[in-house]
Amino acid sequence: MSEVELVLVNDTDKCTIYTIQFSEEAETEYERFYSKFIEDAQLNQDLLRIVQLVDKIADEGALERFFRPEGKMRDSVVALPVLRSKLRLYCLRLSDRILVLGNGGVKSSRTYEEDDSLRGYVLSLQKFEELLKEGQRDGTVTVTSKTIETDKTFKL
Amino acid sequence: MVKQVPPEIKEEIDLSFAISNKIDLLMQERGLTKKQFADQLGKRPSEITRWLSGQHNFTVSTLTMLSAFFGKSIISV
Repeated sequence: MSEVELVLVNDTDKCTIYTIQFSEEAETEYERFYSKFIEDAQLNQDLLRIVQLVDKIADEGALERFFRPEGKMRDSVVALPVLRSKLRLYCLRLSDRILVLGNGGVKSSRTYEEDDSLRGYVLSLQKFEELLKEGQRDGTVTVTSKTIETDKTFKL
Repeated sequence: MVKQVPPEIKEEIDLSFAISNKIDLLMQERGLTKKQFADQLGKRPSEITRWLSGQHNFTVSTLTMLSAFFGKSIISV
């Protein structure tokens, strides 16, 4: 079991973007995703497209049409793809105004479930969403129209 | 991180988002669902999904066709 904290990435009028950080890691999940591909000669440009997309989404809102559904029907996990590339950033799209960035990688199999790393990233977000819901039930997490308010460390 | 993004990528994504937002707005003005819009254009709904994703690389002929369909220009030069 790992400890996870919610970390603010960007806050605009349209959208609040968060990521998560595991206590044993020096970087957030979004930073780990960035660090993994920034020196990759083949994927560097695709990574920077995702970085720009995330910045643009902060201005426009996390609208459903910018993402691809992933995970299960009952959860809010989505992928931010780069068209014409297999690089994917997995996220929790809680609403048009709240997005939680996870980690990601190259989707070289037909589904994320066939790849251990990608499945792990999606599972982490699915579990994190469940913990947010639990926190809302016990009063340790408040989700407003545009923010997630908590000082809780989650046991993932 | 965003400071590392080259200006050409930034410009491309800004323009792609602007076009998809314009199409989305025009669809809303006409009261068209994705399916209705696709049917009227003889396209698959998946193609409309790509157009609205903010990442589609539109051809001049597609933009011209969309301008004719809506009776309004999608981009101005």
